[in-house]
Amino acid sequence: MIQDVLGSKCALFSDGVQTILRGQENRMRRVVFLKGNLVQNVRSEERGVSARVNRNGMFGFASVAEYTPEAAEKVIRAATDNALFLGRHSTDRIVLPPSCGTGTIPLTGQINDAEQKRIIDLCRRIDDHIAEKYPDLSSRVVVYTEDSMDKIIYTSDAFNGHAVYPRAHMMIQMSTETADGTPVEMMDVLGGYGGFEDHFTEPEKLFPVIDKIYERLMDKKEGVYADAGYKTVVLGGMMGGMLAHEAVGHTVEADLVRGGSVAGPNLGKQVASELVTMVDFAHTYNGAMAPLPVYIDDEGTKAEDAMLIRDGILVGYMNDRESAAEYGMKAAGNSRGWAFSDEPLIRMRNTCILPGRNTLEELISSVDDGYYLIQSGNGQADLTGEFMFGVTCGYEIKNGKLGRALLDTTVTGVAFDMLKTVDMVSSEVQWSTSGTCGKKQAMAVSMGGPLMRCKIMIGGR
Amino acid sequence: MSEIREFADLFDAILKEKNAEKYSYTLVKSEKQELNAESGEFKLMRTVFSNYTSLKLFRGTRMGNVSGTDLSEEGLRKLADDGIVAAESAEEDPCNDFGPDQGKDVFRQGVWEPDIDRFLERVKELLTTIKTDYPKINVMMAIASFDRHNWISRNTNGTEFEAFTGSYGLALEISASDGEKNTGISGTGFDFKDLDTPLIDCCNVRDTLEKTQNSLNPQTLTGKFEGPVIMTPGCAAQFLSMLAGNYMGSGVIMEGTSLWLDKVGEQVCSPMLTVSLNSFDERIIVGERGTQDGFRTEDVTLIDKGVLKAHMLSLYAAKKTGRPMLPNTSFNVVVEPGDKSLSELIASVDKGLLMGDFSGGYPGTNGEFSGVAKNSFLIENGKVGPAVMETMVNGNLGEIFKTIRGISKELLCDGGMVMPYIAFDGIVISGK
Repeated sequence: MIQDVLGSKCALFSDGVQTILRGQENRMRRVVFLKGNLVQNVRSEERGVSARVNRNGMFGFASVAEYTPEAAEKVIRAATDNALFLGRHSTDRIVLPPSCGTGTIPLTGQINDAEQKRIIDLCRRIDDHIAEKYPDLSSRVVVYTEDSMDKIIYTSDAFNGHAVYPRAHMMIQMSTETADGTPVEMMDVLGGYGGFEDHFTEPEKLFPVIDKIYERLMDKKEGVYADAGYKTVVLGGMMGGMLAHEAVGHTVEADLVRGGSVAGPNLGKQVASELVTMVDFAHTYNGAMAPLPVYIDDEGTKAEDAMLIRDGILVGYMNDRESAAEYGMKAAGNSRGWAFSDEPLIRMRNTCILPGRNTLEELISSVDDGYYLIQSGNGQADLTGEFMFGVTCGYEIKNGKLGRALLDTTVTGVAFDMLKTVDMVSSEVQWSTSGTCGKKQAMAVSMGGPLMRCKIMIGGR
Repeated sequence: MSEIREFADLFDAILKEKNAEKYSYTLVKSEKQELNAESGEFKLMRTVFSNYTSLKLFRGTRMGNVSGTDLSEEGLRKLADDGIVAAESAEEDPCNDFGPDQGKDVFRQGVWEPDIDRFLERVKELLTTIKTDYPKINVMMAIASFDRHNWISRNTNGTEFEAFTGSYGLALEISASDGEKNTGISGTGFDFKDLDTPLIDCCNVRDTLEKTQNSLNPQTLTGKFEGPVIMTPGCAAQFLSMLAGNYMGSGVIMEGTSLWLDKVGEQVCSPMLTVSLNSFDERIIVGERGTQDGFRTEDVTLIDKGVLKAHMLSLYAAKKTGRPMLPNTSFNVVVEPGDKSLSELIASVDKGLLMGDFSGGYPGTNGEFSGVAKNSFLIENGKVGPAVMETMVNGNLGEIFKTIRGISKELLCDGGMVMPYIAFDGIVISGK
């Protein structure tokens, strides 16, 4: 982990401007076995320092790929010059208000580094197990990924702190062919916050998940195309999380509200069924650590939960300090940058629709003719709240019982219309912890949701 | 001698000292100057001084791949040590390798010395013109950047390539609003090497602004029909990229799941389609010069009049499968123009779509795709009508490329690829 070499450079912060100095290291470990071949064996470490200066509302940012006191001096000077340069070519913007507090957030966790050989051995063991137990597969892929961020933050008028974000995941994908020779795939992701030691020291504990992937793949091998149209569905927890992040979350990021998102004119209005409450959690969910705990953001704001939808009413946005001032809200620690060279942007953390009272059985048995949609490959949404999720695992529901598996399909809708159709919500939340959101930069995010019964457009053939 | 060569010489000495007998590496020094505007106003000026080091190190046929940003002697020593550990952790695999001696060369492309003040004035002019000519457009984000790279790539077979490249770039993210009516996000992006032309007149900027402003009153389609879909160059590139990944890429060929596994030399697409990777095309601002496997990049034809000419195989995948490697690892795609104008293509459609973007799940290896048509317009009786919303399209990648009904004469050059409009049959369009 990085050591603090920046503190002494706070003396270079100028009076009358707001300055953030950030040292950061991103680590990545990646091992990929494709059909038994080790095709990727990668370790990477990117380290540097950046400064962001706000002068009369103009932001100057600079970064250097060195983590030294001298580099800190260089970026403070360059960021100041950039703010001055921009000021000469433009009128002033919003001057950032005083921060919500000052202080120090102590080191928030640890990043532990596993030896590459242990990672390779683990993946080989998993791959061998799949190959031996399920020789009928046409292909298999085992991917281990560890990505971590380690940040030291000094600010002129907010919190200082040392934040770490370690994640370790394994993705397993299996392929087979349908009777007519068409390839189909099924995958799942394991792991979460922490490192190798936290999730992968006992490979045999992963075997039941492997069995489940295979079972679902065999169902899908006999699968059918969905009947396209506007259908009653039960969205699985992962789909609920995708909905929370993609379809609603992005529209309530304040920079996108400023850009004209549907959330702008809907603040304070009913945008969802009363059963829907949605929060972007900072670091704690239900009394335990959230999957991606954020204690301090990259503007030095101490992180708090951001309430977005309460009982179906849109009540807030996710903000940085500038947008919080613009919308009269409180910044809650959503401003984060991916690499040392990235300026902080408004990003989600642990975005989740809260659980309700129903069970999975109640949800399934309540549907006469519809679908149970379990797993999403990817998702996208627009400023209007129009969203699309790829569905890679799902089943028919006929007369309250699960039927045939579905081949890959897509669901779409407009978030604030679709959420008004939610009429049953399960009591358990499922988290998806491996998300990487794209918005100019990448960013580690987590998303969660309960199972929900609702109406949605589903694509067929 | 460039500074990067001094780092390379130091790195060679360190690797030699550590008894590394076989390796290849790339060292990069780069600089970015980036102007960000939000809601049509300047907001942030960003300068990034970056280093990047990437090392493939071999112990016999075992290979480790490590990368970092630290070009100091200490950083390079650590990278070498990490590379040795990664290689020694790997498994023996005789397919791990890089190319034979390709000689030495220095490549210069694009522009090395930017005129940042003039660039900023061009961006200011663009933002002002948009406000005047397109009053309903909100420029959510404009990112104007100049990027300059000096890299050197060496390997123990004797190859040494060095490059000096630089280019301007613009990315626009826009929406339109009128009272409480808002469109979704649309945008464009392109690279360029001079500031002679106002940015509003570059690439497809005006077209994107006009289409977005015309999207304020979208129509929800009802029912389902199979109709022609004319894809804009950007959308067609998106489908071509999926086609390459699902049918031609190293992964699916090694897995054996590609539906074009044994189709080289066969007709797989419409005879209208010719697709090449032309990194040396003068319309490509910074084309690839050396492949990721240490070969000199060559222009290659992937699909010639619908006939599959090659898979896009890395050296590893080629050795693993006993098939030819492709000496181009870029996506500098150039698609040959057709013989009809865009207006002729539109005029030939009774009912269909002009599709700007596809928002959909990445298709499985069977090629089945399903998603939402974004930034898209209904075509009826040969004329472009209203924008559409909540409109899904689905079909099969391999099948639609067999049923191309026309390719436009007009080409869009964004500095990285050259694409026409492509009209496809066989796509199912469904409304609510």
